[in-house]
Order: sequence, then C-alpha cells, then structure tokens
Amino acid sequence: MKQFRSMTYPYVLWISVMIIVPMLLIVLYAFTVSGNDVLTFQFTLENFHRFITDSVFRAVLWRSLLIAVITTLICVLLGYPIAYIIAQMGEHANTVMILLITMPTWVNMLVRTYAWMGILQDEGVLNSLLGVFGIGPVQMIHTSFAVILGMVYNFIPFMILQIHTSLAKMDKSLLNAANDLGANPVQAFLRVTLPLSVPGIISGITLVFLPAVSSFFIPKLLGGGQYVLVGNIIETQFLTTGDWNFGSAISMIMALIIMLSMYLTRKVDVSAASNGKE
Amino acid sequence: MKKKSSLLSRIVLVLTLLFFYLPILYIIVFSFNDSRSLTKFSGFSLRWYEKMFADPTMMEAVMYTVIVAVLATAISTIVGTITAIGLSKSRRAVQLLVERVNDLPVMNPDIVTAISLLMFFSVLAVRKGLGTMLLAHIMFCIPYVMLSITPKLRSLDPNLIDAALDLGATPFQALTRVIVPQIRPGIISGALIAFTMSFDDFVISYFTTGNGVNNISILVYTMSKRVNPSINALSTIVILLITLTLGIVNIVPVLREKWSAKNQPVK
Amino acid sequence: MKKALVLLLLALSLCLVGCGAKPSGAQSEAEAIEKYGSAVLKVYMPGEYLGENVIQNFEKQFGVKVIMENFDSNEMMYTKLQAGDSYDVLIPSDYMIERLIKGDYLQPLDHSLLPNLGNLADAVRNMDYDPDNTWSVPYFWGSVGLVYNTENVDPKVMEAEGWEILRDTDYAGQIYIYDSERDSFMMAFKALGYSMNTDNSDEIQAAYEWLREMNQTMDPIYVTDEVIDSMIGGYKDIAVVYSGDATVILDENEDMGFFMPNEGTNIWCDAMVIPANAENPLLAHEFINYFLTYEAAFDNSETVGYASPHAQVLEEMSTQEDLYAENEAYLPRSNYKNDEMFHDNVVLQKELSQLWIKVKAEK
Repeated sequence: MKQFRSMTYPYVLWISVMIIVPMLLIVLYAFTVSGNDVLTFQFTLENFHRFITDSVFRAVLWRSLLIAVITTLICVLLGYPIAYIIAQMGEHANTVMILLITMPTWVNMLVRTYAWMGILQDEGVLNSLLGVFGIGPVQMIHTSFAVILGMVYNFIPFMILQIHTSLAKMDKSLLNAANDLGANPVQAFLRVTLPLSVPGIISGITLVFLPAVSSFFIPKLLGGGQYVLVGNIIETQFLTTGDWNFGSAISMIMALIIMLSMYLTRKVDVSAASNGKE
Repeated sequence: MKKKSSLLSRIVLVLTLLFFYLPILYIIVFSFNDSRSLTKFSGFSLRWYEKMFADPTMMEAVMYTVIVAVLATAISTIVGTITAIGLSKSRRAVQLLVERVNDLPVMNPDIVTAISLLMFFSVLAVRKGLGTMLLAHIMFCIPYVMLSITPKLRSLDPNLIDAALDLGATPFQALTRVIVPQIRPGIISGALIAFTMSFDDFVISYFTTGNGVNNISILVYTMSKRVNPSINALSTIVILLITLTLGIVNIVPVLREKWSAKNQPVK
Repeated sequence: MKKALVLLLLALSLCLVGCGAKPSGAQSEAEAIEKYGSAVLKVYMPGEYLGENVIQNFEKQFGVKVIMENFDSNEMMYTKLQAGDSYDVLIPSDYMIERLIKGDYLQPLDHSLLPNLGNLADAVRNMDYDPDNTWSVPYFWGSVGLVYNTENVDPKVMEAEGWEILRDTDYAGQIYIYDSERDSFMMAFKALGYSMNTDNSDEIQAAYEWLREMNQTMDPIYVTDEVIDSMIGGYKDIAVVYSGDATVILDENEDMGFFMPNEGTNIWCDAMVIPANAENPLLAHEFINYFLTYEAAFDNSETVGYASPHAQVLEEMSTQEDLYAENEAYLPRSNYKNDEMFHDNVVLQKELSQLWIKVKAEK
C-alpha cells in the first residue's frame, strides 16, 4: 500500500508553504518587541511573561476554556441523539435533514447573532412567549446562558455532521450479530454502535472545541462585553491596540494548551478505536 | 421497536429544527421591516429588497462569495480526500505531524491566521484580490475536509483494499471503486463544512483580499455604523434559493431512480 | 405575494436602467483617462458612511469608476497600509492621520486642485492634527456624549452629574458603555478633571480605579455599534454614544435626549487624505473636491446623521426644522474649553488597552 503514501506529498509541501511559513512569522512576533514601524527585532520573553504573571489574564484564559468545554459537552449530548435519529431515517430523508441542519450556517454569523440578540432581549420574542405563560421577563441577553446558547447554536451543526457521518453506512450486520447473540438494544448500542462512532465524536469535538475557545463575536454581542474571552483579547491586540507581539504570544500560549488537550483527547480515540476492533 | 421510538424521534427532530430556524425566521421577518432596526419591528416594507438589488457592490459581493466558496470547496474536497487516504497509509509520525499542523488554522483565532497570511502575501508582493483570497480559503478549508474523512477511513476494514488489489484491481480502481464509496458520507460532510466556512468567513478574507474584491461577510462586518437590513433581505434570498435547490436535489434522485429502473432492469 | 414580486422586478429593472443611463454634459471615460491618466479610483473608508447617491453621481459626472473598500476601525486600515496595499483616498480619524503623517504614509494636498476648500465650516478649520489642511480635508466631525431616556432620567440630574452619572448607583444595570479603551478612559479622565491625552501615571491609575468602580457597582453592558439598535429599542436608560449615532437614535426614538457633559468630551474629526503610494492622485483630488460641494455634503450628512464640514450644509442642517434643527445631537460643541481631540500616542494606547481589558474582565 506504499503507493498511496505519495498522495500525501503535495499536501505536505502545501502546508509547509501556506501554514507553517506564515505561522513562523507569528512566532517571530511573539518572541520580539518591535519599535514603532521600524523592523528592529529584539528577542524577548516579555510578551509571555506579561500574560502568564497576570491573574486577570489567567482567569480569562480559564474562563474561555471552561465555556468552550461546556459548549462542547452540550453539543455532544444534544448532537448525538439528533445525529442518531437522522442516521436511522431513509436515505432521502437523511440527505434532506442534513441539508436542513447545515443551511442556517450559510446565513452570515453576525446576522444570525443579531437575530439571537433580538430574540433574547428583555422585551424580545422569547420573553413575550414566556409572558403568555405568566413567567418572566427573565434576563437572558448578556448572561453566560446567552453566550453558551449562541456558541451551541453556531457550532452544533458540525458536531451533528461528524457524528452522523460515523453512524451513516455503519455495518448493520454487526448490530444484527449482536442481536442474534442475545444483546438487548441498549447493550447493542453501548457495545457496538457507540464505540464505532467514537472517531466521529472526536472529530466533532475538534470542530467545536477549537473554534469555541477563540470565538470572538458571540461573547461580544450576546455577552455584552463583560464576558471577556481569550479570543476577544487576541482580536483586540491586532485590531484595536495594534500590539501584534502581545497578541501573537497569547495565541501561542492558547495554541499550546489546546494542542495538549487535543493530544489527550485523541489518545482516547486511538484506544477506543482499538477497543472497537477487538 | 421502530414504532415506539418514532414518536419521540419526531419530537426531537421538530424541536431541533425549531431551534435552528427560529433566528432564520426572525431574519426573514426583519428583512421586511420598515425601519433600520434589527431588533424592533415597525411596519412592513420592501425597501431593503429594493436597496439590495439597486446596490452593485452587494450584487458583486454575492458573486465573489459564491465563486470563492464553490471553488474552495471543490478544490479542498478533492485535495483533502486524496491526502486523507494517502495519510491513512502513511507512517504514524507523518500522520501526527500533518494532523497537528492542520489543527493550527482550525484552532487559531481567525485574526492570527489572517495576519500571518497578510504578512506572507505582502512579503511575496503578490497583487491581492480573488486569487489570494481563494488560496487562503483553500488553506483553511482542507483541514475541515480531512477532519471529516479521517474517522471514516479509520473505521474502514484495511483488508478491503488488499482484497480489491488481489482481485486484480489497479490501485486507482481500488481507490475510486472501493475506498471512495465507503467514505462518501465523510466526503460529503467535509464538503458541507468547507462550504460553510468559506461562505461565512470575514477576517481571513478581509486581510487577504484587495482591489475591491469583497465577499458578503466583509460587507456585513464593515458596515461599521449600522448593519443594514438589506443583509437580511440578502439572507432571505439565499435561504429561498437554497430551499429551491434543496427541493430539486430531493426530487432529482427520485426521478433518476425511476429512470434507471426503467432502463436497467438488471442491477 | 404577487405585489411583492412585481415590486422586486421593478426594483431590478430600475437598477438596470439606472446603470445604463448617462447624463448629458458629463465627462466620458475617455476624457477622464486623458485628464487623470486612469479612470479608476480606489477609496478606503468606514462602512455605511456615505450618502445614498454620492458615489454614483461622482462616477457619472466624471466618467470614472470608484472601487470601494471599507474598514471597521482605523487600526484595521493601518494594518492593511502597513502591508503595502495601495489606495487613492483614505478617510481615517484625527489621531490616525497624525500617525500616518509621522510615518510618511501621506502626500501633501495640492490646494490649487481643491477650489471648494473655501466651503469648509470655521469649526473644522485649523484642526490640531493638521492646522493648514496640508494633508487632509475634513469629512465628518462630532463629539461623544450621553444618550439618555428622558422619561427615566431627569435632565437636571444629567446636567449636574455629567460623566459621574455613569457611577450613580440609582442607574445601576441601566447603562451601556462604549467598548473602546480610548473612549472609556476619555470619560474617566474628563470626570476626574484631567486631560484625555495625559500620560501621567498617577492620573492613569486614578482613571483606572474610576472605571473599575464603575464596572463593579453599575453592572454595565459593553457595546459597540449595536448600541444604536439597543437605544432605539429603549432597552436601557443611559448610553455613551458618538454624536452622529446619537442623531439617528434621537431621530427614531423621541424619548431619547443627548447631553455633552460640562467636564468636557472628545471632539473628533474624520478626514480625507491621499496616501503617498496612490496610483491616481489627480482623480483623488477631484474626489475630495467633489465632497466639498453642497450637493455631496448635503446627501452625506442627511443620510448618515453626522455633522457636515461644509459651512452652508452645517448651517441648514442645524437650523431647518425638517432637517436636524430639533435634534440636539447633530451639532457638536465647538471651542468649548474642556473639550479636546485625541493625539496619537501608541505607547499610551497600548497601556490603556491592557488596563481596559482588565477592567472588563474583572467580574
């Protein structure tokens, strides 16, 4: 099967040019301080030091990770049953449902978030609806509820897609075999279906967790700016403060933490996959 | 067993769709708003539709968005599929390396990727526009495609290819006739995600484009004073078009099946 | 539904007709190329900051094509300039113009090509950052103030407390703060009686404490442009808003009032400049000159709601009742002793930015 390996080479070349080289420029910024416009680079660890030693920044980083983890968990817990139900449907219904779930993501994210702002407002649609039942008004906008809702709304389609992919076209004979061997549906699910869908879940987690940590517009608009997350800080460094060095350093710190956690998550993947094959 | 679960399934699906389409409905309603507000409805009007059709920059942006999204999706799906298959047969170290590097554009805040590409393109002194924007989109779309395909490849029986090769298939045939059909759901979802990412991208597009080439997101985010409800009108039309396409996509396979059933009685 | 469709088609055909028509007496493209060397002009300016028909009229009259790009913050623009992107006309703010002049990004204007320069209002002449209009010509100007709901906030209390009302716990949970280190430190400095361009570390520390206390006691919501929609909706009672945005809010919600605190505020000015690497400086001058005509300035100011730099337009807008005479936010204060403009100070801005993040994150 060595003949297939060469299919990787063009892409390795591509990422070296389009991802690694540009990223090296960011690394360069992270380790330097620049004088105003002149390119006088001077090696320093000051940018990292400034972030790590500041308790407020550490708290922000911690909060960002926490919100991202919560978002990811909710996406898995809600996304799995939805994907499972869709996967059980006929082929056409399947396609239609997947497209129906993807379609809202083709509407601009800012526009969708503005819509949520209107819906969650104290005098918004949701509160009027609750009012009919004599509840509220409940404050929803500018709370962590709103931020997490916005994130889940934005990212859960990717989770559903990934889990659905791993469940679709699954070898049904395995399930039949489990049934024949006397496993009840719950056992069959836990022993056969779930392990087989673990790679899909991991992919889904990657697609939700990674962008959730660095998300920027959702906490800003739905959280009312009090929910400063690490994405906001990085964005501010580049777009308003103009402190690229500090911004680069923060994103490197974040990248390292995420890479570590993804490495651990994928370890689960490998062991689960080998379990499934036994 | 099927009957019992189907009521519950239906309720879940209806709730899911309600959740997904509540904001979309909201956007559609506000595209007919008489005032500029995106949160307060003051009366029915079609002015934002008129404004949208009368605005050449908006129509141009739609065109560029679609061109870039379609090309980026097509290219990154093909390249991503080929690479993912190749990778699944490569050494573990290479796999790990490529996976980690692929994580970078997914993980980094868009602005970091954007600035890195901005500097990269300006070092190369290329003329910015559609080409540079497309390159950037392909760059960040491929990792999403690969992320979708890899799990499907991993659950593939490794003996399948050997069997195909033993039966006299060329490697190319083994690839297109055996592997690709097996991982099709992964390819489709990868393509869908790539399309979404490209369609909705602002920051990276903003810093890699130039010379008046804008996409819809750039228009929306740089309406710095106030987001103009024409964007709602535009979104409504996009939804309408996709729904129509969806209808057709849904009907065509049914027709084709009937057709093929008539012409090829033997399967 | 049918009616809707007809209207849509009508709009579409109108657009097509409009694009095809050519007014008589206008310059043709060939003439434009002969005169300026090229008939293409690249403009880079904030989004949604133009009159409805200004660009189309300019294009028709001079037989040229305008390629428009927008930015959302001065720093975004600066980033693209640093990367070497070239434009013919930019419209940044005062402090950014200062930075561009210092960095040799601009070319001096040729006043002989700007005969309409005389139309400028006195209030926008002799701006600190460019006293003789050597580099720039004002586009819009304004102030920063407080928009408040006159039903719930007594104008007298407003008048008496000024910026301090943002720390008056009677209004806790009722305020929107503009999310930018520049504007928030401005109000803290002003409330404390300092200059907003101070780099005295004690004064900065005092302003930081002022903002921290506000953050802790008032439960403020930090917003940017979404404040316009939120205040029109009347979701909160007090908001820090740019004067032009306040004009729009007051226009659409009559309960709202506008107040510029007596302790002083930020007077700002966005102006047109020509970058040193512009490809078509001749046409760029024509463009700037065109924006100094009555017709263009009127369309701009009426649509966007910001104060015009054009003397006659400013006069009409602020005195005629069908325009903005009754809108207290339209006309900025000029020559008030406590008001100031921002100066460019990159080091100070970085420091304030870190402090501002800490203020917001501390919760």
